[in-house]
Amino acid sequence: MLTRKFFLSMPLFLVVFLLQEALVNQVHLPLSGFSLLLILALMWAAISPPEVGAMTGFGVGILMDLSQSSGGPIGQWTLVMILVGFSIAFLGYGDDNLRANPMSIIFLVSIGVVAAEVLYLVIGLLLGMEIGTTFDVLATIFGAGLWSAIISPLMVPIVSRIHAAIFEGSNRP
Amino acid sequence: MRNGGENRSRLLLIILLVTSLFLITLDLRGVKVIEGFKSGTQSALTPVQEVGSIISAPFRNFFSDITHLGRTRNEIAKLKADNDALRTTLLARKSADAELGQLKSVLDLAGTAGYKILNAKVISQGASTSFTQSIIIDAGTNSGIRANMSVISGFGLVGVVKFAYPNSSLVALASDPSFKVGARIAGSQQIGILEGQGSRYGVLQLLDNQTNVKKGDVILARGSMGNSPFVPGVPIGEVTAVENTAGAVTQTADVKFYVNFSALSVVAVVIKAPVTDPRDALVPPKPIPTPVPTVTIYRLPGDTATVVASPSPSPSKSK
Repeated sequence: MLTRKFFLSMPLFLVVFLLQEALVNQVHLPLSGFSLLLILALMWAAISPPEVGAMTGFGVGILMDLSQSSGGPIGQWTLVMILVGFSIAFLGYGDDNLRANPMSIIFLVSIGVVAAEVLYLVIGLLLGMEIGTTFDVLATIFGAGLWSAIISPLMVPIVSRIHAAIFEGSNRP
Repeated sequence: MRNGGENRSRLLLIILLVTSLFLITLDLRGVKVIEGFKSGTQSALTPVQEVGSIISAPFRNFFSDITHLGRTRNEIAKLKADNDALRTTLLARKSADAELGQLKSVLDLAGTAGYKILNAKVISQGASTSFTQSIIIDAGTNSGIRANMSVISGFGLVGVVKFAYPNSSLVALASDPSFKVGARIAGSQQIGILEGQGSRYGVLQLLDNQTNVKKGDVILARGSMGNSPFVPGVPIGEVTAVENTAGAVTQTADVKFYVNFSALSVVAVVIKAPVTDPRDALVPPKPIPTPVPTVTIYRLPGDTATVVASPSPSPSKSK
């Protein structure tokens, strides 16, 4: 049942992936910009059961790995997103107060984005990735968190409505 | 029932994690299927990115324009007053004019060195959330582009083609932390290795500690064997600081890249290098300071004010 619902949500992620590659990546934003797909995936995970969080992480991770702007091997973002997606979903699972509060979701997503960046960096280092200066790395991570905190409030109402439509309102925050 | 659900959840997590580790292993081992997936995705994305590039052209540099607003406020106010009617037309042409300027300068550079080039438009700026610096251009293997070709702009080296797809190519920028290029100091044969740092500045590691490098020295690409990935003589940047550590095996210097990587719209891929090394022919000319005429007013006792124009500022003789 969950698998069917997960596949129903995939077109949304595909559309956002195209939006990210075609538009968001074109704009030169300060502090390295943001990943709309990453924010959406973590927001989706935050209001879903852990299984869906992990599967969403897997699907979105594959898409992020297929993006040309991803410097690591295919599977690196997938690994990161499975772990972070599952963790975010697990943290919010069963806690209706947390899911009902948009601020909690925004906070969870922002922390999740920072955690995903750090985890990607750590795995990248283990795989021999060159990361640049400490300042740039810190600026990218800080920027990712900051942009998430700015973008997430705009996305919460839309994402929760679509999520509720697919999951029949059972997990609506 | 609850335990069953938890077990299923754990099993799913393990399966997904193992799958991702499997994918990483396959990719690192260079399995063609994985590369094919990436290539196919990029081929499918290219038309979408081209459309996105057209749509985002008016607001692409919105944020950097804002940061320069203070400097140009007076000019903008004057332009607004003078050209209110023409503003809409001007905005629409701004993007095209910038591309034309970049195209002209890159043709000038390539013409001087005798490079055979292929111009391409930047259709996507890779997100640096993956700690990499890259761009995607709208020309690929169908246009004769192959991996490991030098990419230049009117100012100098932009990067190198990392992957070439049928209708687009991924270019690793010189600012990418994994980017390394053999470089030499213009005017001498002193050589070193320049590495990207993820920003507008790179680090040049000289191979000889006795090398005499100083601030303002121009750094050029040394060229690779068979001119791939780097053709010789392309300007890279200028030395901004030299680190002289006593007892160090090598000497390092900070280099500011000539190319502004965040404002690239048109680049050129060097398809064929010249038969002879252009040496220092591409070193950008030093800016010549323009003398500013100043006016000094002398007031002599019992005389009316005398106005004297001089070509340079003079010590304050006026009372």
